[in-house]
Amino acid sequence: MHAKSLAAALNPDVVSFISELECSGCGAKYSHEEIHTFCPICQSPLLVRYDLDLVRKQVDRNAFRCRQGRMWRWHELLPVKDPGNFVFLGEGDTALLHLPSLGKELGYPHLFVKDESSNPTGSFKARGLAAAVSKAKELGIKKVIIPTAGNAGGAMAAYAARAGIRALIYMPKDTQRSNIEESRMAGAEVVLVDGLISDAAGMAGEKARTEGWFDLSTFKEPYRTEGKKIMGYELAETYDWTLPDVIIYPTGGGTGLVGMWKAFAELEALGWLNNTKRPRMVVVQAEGCAPVVKAFEAGAAFCDFWINAHTLASGLRVPKSFADVLILKDLRESQGIAVAVSDASILEAQHQFGNLEGIFPAPEGAATLAALKMLIHQKWVHPEERIVLFNTGLGLKYLDNVQNQ
Amino acid sequence: MTKNILYIEDNPDNMLLVKRVLLAGGYNVLEAENGAQGISVAENQDVDLILLDINLPDIDGYEVARRLRSNEKRALAYTPIIAVTANALRGDAEKALEAGCDVYMSKPINVHELRARVEAFVPSPK
Repeated sequence: MHAKSLAAALNPDVVSFISELECSGCGAKYSHEEIHTFCPICQSPLLVRYDLDLVRKQVDRNAFRCRQGRMWRWHELLPVKDPGNFVFLGEGDTALLHLPSLGKELGYPHLFVKDESSNPTGSFKARGLAAAVSKAKELGIKKVIIPTAGNAGGAMAAYAARAGIRALIYMPKDTQRSNIEESRMAGAEVVLVDGLISDAAGMAGEKARTEGWFDLSTFKEPYRTEGKKIMGYELAETYDWTLPDVIIYPTGGGTGLVGMWKAFAELEALGWLNNTKRPRMVVVQAEGCAPVVKAFEAGAAFCDFWINAHTLASGLRVPKSFADVLILKDLRESQGIAVAVSDASILEAQHQFGNLEGIFPAPEGAATLAALKMLIHQKWVHPEERIVLFNTGLGLKYLDNVQNQ
Repeated sequence: MTKNILYIEDNPDNMLLVKRVLLAGGYNVLEAENGAQGISVAENQDVDLILLDINLPDIDGYEVARRLRSNEKRALAYTPIIAVTANALRGDAEKALEAGCDVYMSKPINVHELRARVEAFVPSPK
C-alpha cells in the first residue's frame, strides 16, 4: 500500500498525539518539531511523549481492529504527524503463534511465539526503522547513517530507499552476507568494519559528526523505540487487552524491551488494559556477550563494556547498549530476570523450533527458547503461566552462521 | 578536602560537558589537551583520578596510560584511570585495560554513569 492510499484508509482526524520529547535521564523536555538525537545535557536517550489524556478521550481501543495499515493502525501513538510521511512496506501485525508441540514437550501449555520474521526485510528491525525513517522524512532529513550488526542495516536501507533518502551503513566485516547484499540492493552505501558493532558505531558517529549524516543508531534518536513499542500494543490487543505473564526477549541494544515496557505504561495510562498486571520481562543474552546479565546480577545501574564479545547470534553481540540504564530499570521494575545462554543451546533450540513447530528462527529468537528451558529448570516460570517468546527474525538470513557450526 | 580530577581530552565540547559535571560534584578539575601535557600535570600535581581520552593529538591514550603506570612518581601506578573513547578502532576497550586503565567508557558520555564511575573511586566532596 502506498503512503497516500494508506493515509486514505486510515482517515484520521488527528494523526499523532505526540506532545514532546523527554530525556530518560534528566527529564529535560525537547520539541518534536525539531531534529534531536539524544539529550545534550546528560547524554541519555530521549523518549517520545504523547497527550495520553486526549487519546483516552478521543480514541476507542476497539477502533484499531477495524483499521488497515498494520503498524500504522496505531498512528495516534506513533510520532509521525502527516500520513504522507508514513514509509510503509507492510511492517507490523506479525503472528502470535501458539506452540503446542514445544509446550507439550516442556510441560508448558500456554507457550507462544511472537514471530517477527514476517516483517519486511525479515526482522523486527523493520518496525523501528519504519518509524525512524518516516519521522526523518517528516523532519526533512536527506541522509541517514547507521552502525549495525546486520538486520538494522538491511531495514534502514529498505525504508530509506522507499523514502528517497540516502543511506550509509557501517557493518562488521563478518556480518552475514544476506544483510550486506540486501543493503546494497536497496541502494545503500555499505562500509565493512574490522570490528564489532561498537566499533562500527564509533566510525558511524564520527562520519555523522563530520559530514552531517543523521545517525539512526539504537537510542541515539528517539523514534525507533516507537516503532518497536507497537509489539506491546499488538500483544495487548491480541490477548483481548490483557498482557502475558512472562515475555522472553533477546536483548542487544534493547529497543524492543524498552519500547514494550513503554507501551505497557502507556496502555495503563490510557486505561485500555482489562487488568494491570504487567509481564515479567526476561532479557536473554549470549554467554559470549552478556553485559546486561552481568550488571543485573551485580545490582548495578549500568553495564560495563563487555570485553571480547563473541556469539553466533550477531544481534546479541552488543558490548554495551546506549540504553543500558533504561534496560536495567525496566527489567527490575518488571520483577524480571536476565539470563545468558550458550551458542550450543541456541543451535539446539533453533532445531527444536524447526522440528516441533516448523519455525526457522533467527539465532536470537532461538535463544529465547534456550532461556526458557533454563528458567524452567530454575522454577522461575510456572506451567500455568502464559509465556511469550520473541523470534526477532528469519533464520534464513543467517545461513552463514548456521552452516559454519 | 579538595579532590583533583585530571581530564586529558582535546575535544573542547567533551571537556566542557565533563567539567560541568565534575564541578557540580564538588571536584576540582585539572585540564590537559594532549597526552604529554596530561602526563606532566599528573607528575607535578596531586591527582586523585584521571579521565583519559584515547584519541589524543600527540601520543594515544594507551601510551599515556602505560607511561603513567610506569612513572617514577609511584602514586601514579595506583591512581584510578577511566578511559573514555569513541572506540573507533577494534579492541579499544581491551587495549585500554591492558594498558593499565581501570574502567572503559564509550562516548557519548552519559553523565549519570560518569558521575557514578568517578564516585566509585573518589567520593564526591559534596
